[in-house]
Amino acid sequence: MAQHILETDGLVCPFPVVEAKAAMAEMPAGDELVIHFDCTQGTEAIPRWAAENGYPVTDFTKRGAAEWSITVQKA
Amino acid sequence: MLISGLIIGAALGFVLQRGRFCVTGAFRDIWIAKNTWWLSAFFVAIAVQSVGVWVLDALGVITLSASDFPWLATILGGFIFGFGIVLAGGCATGTYYRAAEGLVGSWFALLFYALFASISKYGPLGSTTEALRGITVEGQGTLHETFNVSPWLLVALLVVGTTLWARHHITKPRLKFATLPPEKTGLAHVLFEKAWNPFVTAAVVGLIAIAAWPASWATGRESGLGITTPSANIATYLTTGDVELVDWGVFLVLGIFVGSLIAALGSGEFKLRVPDAQTIVRSIAGGALMGVGAAWAGGCTIGNALVGTSTFSWQGWVSLVVMILGTGVAAKLFIAPRKKTAAPAQVPAGV
Repeated sequence: MAQHILETDGLVCPFPVVEAKAAMAEMPAGDELVIHFDCTQGTEAIPRWAAENGYPVTDFTKRGAAEWSITVQKA
Repeated sequence: MLISGLIIGAALGFVLQRGRFCVTGAFRDIWIAKNTWWLSAFFVAIAVQSVGVWVLDALGVITLSASDFPWLATILGGFIFGFGIVLAGGCATGTYYRAAEGLVGSWFALLFYALFASISKYGPLGSTTEALRGITVEGQGTLHETFNVSPWLLVALLVVGTTLWARHHITKPRLKFATLPPEKTGLAHVLFEKAWNPFVTAAVVGLIAIAAWPASWATGRESGLGITTPSANIATYLTTGDVELVDWGVFLVLGIFVGSLIAALGSGEFKLRVPDAQTIVRSIAGGALMGVGAAWAGGCTIGNALVGTSTFSWQGWVSLVVMILGTGVAAKLFIAPRKKTAAPAQVPAGV
């Protein structure tokens, strides 16, 4: 199992989810994707995208003012 | 009491920012995520407001009057607006609250939106706007006039339909969303941290939209929430000094900015965010298209899609549909992942 980092700071929604989807498609099952994002709406959109696709979220933290990190596993 | 505009605007801005209420996102999701989760929440706001405005009308607090339906301007303007909001990354209210969160791209979108709304209403494009809006279907301003039914029948249909639709989304396999670990407690947690339920947020937006009617009416501005004309008025006031333009609506949009700024600062979600050159260019183009489109259509996602729909105006419903179509076309053209060079770096687990 490996972790992949996706840097999306500076991208506004829906691009963090669009990029996460593309990154997920190329990852083997079981790997984790760490998404760094600073689009406020992403705090709602990314967990919802993960839930709708049945991907477990193993970590979700606020890195700082308007900066978050979420780790989603490809199940 | 112009100040009531500031208060209602601030409440709206606060709720939009905290609830992540984004009409552009709701329209975009239909095409990109292929779901109507947020659209059904948006309809909750329309339905709640619809009940309220028709009760206010029945009580004589406000008087909803019918007008002609400027069909051509509504279709063209609505499509252009829907296309523009994808480029700008948010509709009119979305752009106000993102600007208050410190998104520099939204500052550009907002400036060009207000400027082009002013150009299209009061400036060199004013006569074009007037000519387009002069092409109407007479005496058919509203759905209840056309179908010759009581507006209350439409209110009932809207409420029942929306309830079933929202219930479908709320009760179908109940999804468990990941949430951030709380750092605040009590009221501070609820107001400045907790992830709000979209359907509750939408209902509150509907209530604020109801309150806007009598508050605005009392100042002589006989309408509900509206963003485009007030934004055009600000731009025009700033360049002409014409104080007549500073009405309740101007205070409303200033309030939206203040309310979302308070929400963003209070929840630690304010940060100056400067996007890349392409995003800035798109924000400028999107803002300009939004200004022209909303002026032609006679409203934006708020004035037409939220307020006009609740009063059952054809302008409101037709522009809602063509805005969604415009959003779909722009989403197909512009929403794609970055080039392969930005692929995620691979690191071994545990490092």
